[in-house]
Amino acid sequence: MKTLIILVITTLGIVAPVWAQSDQYKQAMSQAIGSLQTQTMQTSTADLQAVANQFERIASVETKEWLPRYYAGLMYVYLGFTGKDEAAKDKYLDQADANLKAAEALSPNNDELAVLKAYIAQSRMVVDPMNRWQQYGPLAQAGIEKAKSLNAANPRPYVLEGTSLMYTPEQFGGGPTTACPVLKQAAEKFATFKPANDLSPNWGQKQIEPLLAKCK
Amino acid sequence: MKPVYFLCILLLSSTATAQIRLTGRVLDQKGRTLPGANVFLKGTYDGGNTDSTGTFRFTTVRNDTATLLVSYIGYEPFSQKITLGSSTPLIIRLQEAANELNTVVITAGSFEASDEKRMTMLKPMDIVTTAGANADITAAMNLLPGTQRVGEQTGLFVRGGSGEEAKVVIDGMIVQNPYFSSMPDVQSRGRFQPFMFKGTSFSTGGYSAQYGQALSSVLLLNTTDKPQNEGLGLSVNLANTGLSYDHTSDKSSISATGYYGNLKPLFALVRQNIDWTQVPEFAGTSLTYRLQPSKTGMLKFYGMYSASQLGMNFIDPSSNAGKTAFKQRNNNFFTTSTYTDSWADSRWLLYSGLSYSYDTDATTFDAYDFGRSSERLQGRAVLTRLLPNNNTLLFGTEASRVTLRNTVMGTRYALNDNYAALFVESQTYLGRNLAIQLGLRGEYSSVINRFNLAPRLSMAYKTGLYSQISLAYGQFYQTPDYRYLYLNRSLTYERADHLILNYQIIKNKRTFRIETFYKNYAELVREFTGQPYDANPYRFPIGQTNNSGNGYAQGFDMFWRDQKTIKGLDYWITYSYVDSKRLFQQFTVSATPTFISSHNISLIGKRYFEKISTNLGLTYTISSGRPYYNPTNETFLADRTPMVNNLSFSASHITRINKNLVVLYASVDNILNTHNVYTYRYTPDNKTRYAVGPQSYRSFFVGGVIMLSRKANVNVNEL
Repeated sequence: MKTLIILVITTLGIVAPVWAQSDQYKQAMSQAIGSLQTQTMQTSTADLQAVANQFERIASVETKEWLPRYYAGLMYVYLGFTGKDEAAKDKYLDQADANLKAAEALSPNNDELAVLKAYIAQSRMVVDPMNRWQQYGPLAQAGIEKAKSLNAANPRPYVLEGTSLMYTPEQFGGGPTTACPVLKQAAEKFATFKPANDLSPNWGQKQIEPLLAKCK
Repeated sequence: MKPVYFLCILLLSSTATAQIRLTGRVLDQKGRTLPGANVFLKGTYDGGNTDSTGTFRFTTVRNDTATLLVSYIGYEPFSQKITLGSSTPLIIRLQEAANELNTVVITAGSFEASDEKRMTMLKPMDIVTTAGANADITAAMNLLPGTQRVGEQTGLFVRGGSGEEAKVVIDGMIVQNPYFSSMPDVQSRGRFQPFMFKGTSFSTGGYSAQYGQALSSVLLLNTTDKPQNEGLGLSVNLANTGLSYDHTSDKSSISATGYYGNLKPLFALVRQNIDWTQVPEFAGTSLTYRLQPSKTGMLKFYGMYSASQLGMNFIDPSSNAGKTAFKQRNNNFFTTSTYTDSWADSRWLLYSGLSYSYDTDATTFDAYDFGRSSERLQGRAVLTRLLPNNNTLLFGTEASRVTLRNTVMGTRYALNDNYAALFVESQTYLGRNLAIQLGLRGEYSSVINRFNLAPRLSMAYKTGLYSQISLAYGQFYQTPDYRYLYLNRSLTYERADHLILNYQIIKNKRTFRIETFYKNYAELVREFTGQPYDANPYRFPIGQTNNSGNGYAQGFDMFWRDQKTIKGLDYWITYSYVDSKRLFQQFTVSATPTFISSHNISLIGKRYFEKISTNLGLTYTISSGRPYYNPTNETFLADRTPMVNNLSFSASHITRINKNLVVLYASVDNILNTHNVYTYRYTPDNKTRYAVGPQSYRSFFVGGVIMLSRKANVNVNEL
């Protein structure tokens, strides 16, 4: 009996921290993702930064998980939109790139990371479209194509592609006529898309709603 | 019971652990608060963010020691071992990370256009979109400060230097024939398309020890790593039609082009000042292949072949008819391949390359054979070691074998030159505000069987957040012109020493740059003919030669660019001043050479009109008069041509036909139809003066590109 109990205790002793950590991870991630989901266009830079920091803190402990790095990268893309000038925007996007790189090392050939890569490239381009088109346009497209080929069911590459096309002038091959079919594809994929688990990326549906409204 | 009790103790002890509170502030080196910094204990979830006063507070269950980590975007990460339980607030000072804004960059003498570096004065697209440059890289460089425009000659004339003193370098390799073959009194375009290059660095002096054999300037062109289009493209304009194909796959990409050109349609519409006997006709093809064999490696291959032919009667005061028939057939082959790689987290970088070119001109003046050919084989390897704090150390070597052949009125000349160079260069940062680059280059040339050793030095000091001053000094050697070497191999290197001082400020989309220079020329080749000065630009030197020549060039140039003041309008202004005298070639006294215009001004403006998706540009250039040889004037080269000015316009429009992207463009050169004169020449009896001017006065050009693949995209700025 005694041996059994000791065994149970020691087993608990060994396993419990793992469980605890895992729970702690899930809890911390859920909390951080929760704050991410409450973000709106009006959210202050400080609040965005706080969430980015939260993900980076999780990432520093959970060195085998790609998701905290992924979300941190995503947060820095959002922060990139808030930057006051080109230099500030690039600083955030540099940090997004750093997180992406760390995530890619943990999970190569990941469709969501390909989406993030495309998103960062698009954001780089938006900083100075006139001069950066040439460099980042193909990079964004490559990320979108890679994501599609890795997971045909993922709606997010279509979100990025459709959104970008919507804001591209018609004479450059954009506008509603080319954007809407892509956005509709995204919407169709959202209807059946199931994230792998509660912590997996599941954004984009809301973003395209106002754009889909323009498609008749 | 016992075990249960034990278990309870275990549970109790963990819940009973006291929570320790950590507080403190995060500041920069100047004591300013840093809100939004991430503060946490290594390996734990315990941490927090700093608020608007830079203050953080969080709790932890750890009660012994821990490592505190602080990160803040744009700052060096901070780490410190702390003992928990102390109640005194922590004060953490972060060090700003080096970035392009807060770290000095060596800039004296160089004018860079790059997409990759953010703090450059020009973007590669600027080269293409400037009116008056006609998408020719050299023509665009001629609008930059430090250049003199010489309308009837080919090449770059930089700060008192002749066209031969500037070299064009592609991916580290000197290009033997960067321009289409020269014709009498007609400026030739560069052979390379601007879209091939991702970055351009134009040095107006004081350049790095990595390059040599150019007394005044190097134009460094770096090819792109990826094609920007996909699929087929078709272009048609007044001069030629071309087809291009690009395809990118996962690890490799391929680009191919082919074109045929004939200037008949253009000449039918634009009046020519030249008596063409055979309208220029040309055809060519190129192939680029890029492969990424590994994560860090990159292999590039580029090959091109072109052929052209033309004929004209050019004004020749020295012939009895006043005109001489000129015919030329050119064949050009150029190939270069490079391999780059890095190891150990990019601490070691390798660059290696191999290039080969062959060029031949079947040329006749009247019936006389003036044929020529050149062949060049070159190899290059550079190893760079990145050291902490952005310091670098670079070693490299290059070697080439050049074979030149000329026929002058039936007499054949030939020479072989085996050339080798070794170079080393270090870049040292003393803090973020001061950088020093030291270089040394040793060269050997077999044709003259001589060595040289050239030290180079540049430094830069940051004077403010947006401004800096730079200084460059260097010695530059060049093997004498091959025409002298055919007859005399005992000549030595010509030499120039440069001293350059530069100030620049880049702030809020406005740039101001001023640079002043002094150049000393020594050991220039002089020719002694025992005859009066012969102004014929095509003469072959037959006199005695030695290296007793010398000279100087001094002056300053300014650049102002403003993309901010008037919304949507981007304009820039350059002004260059040069004062130069030389004793060289057939000169018997020191004088200002004929290729020097003291004042050069260019005004460039462009604007994109989004509603009509059209880009418009205007360029106005002024060059003061240049010296010309007047045999009736006792003072040598004392006469000056009139001022040359030119107003040009360009427009491009983007649209879609059948969902295919179409770009249309039009340009007008010399809108005011000014009858510019580049130089004058005299008949042998010294009685009649001929003016040499441009190929045509007011001229226009139209064309278009259609992308046959619907995936294709085109940048509005490339128009």
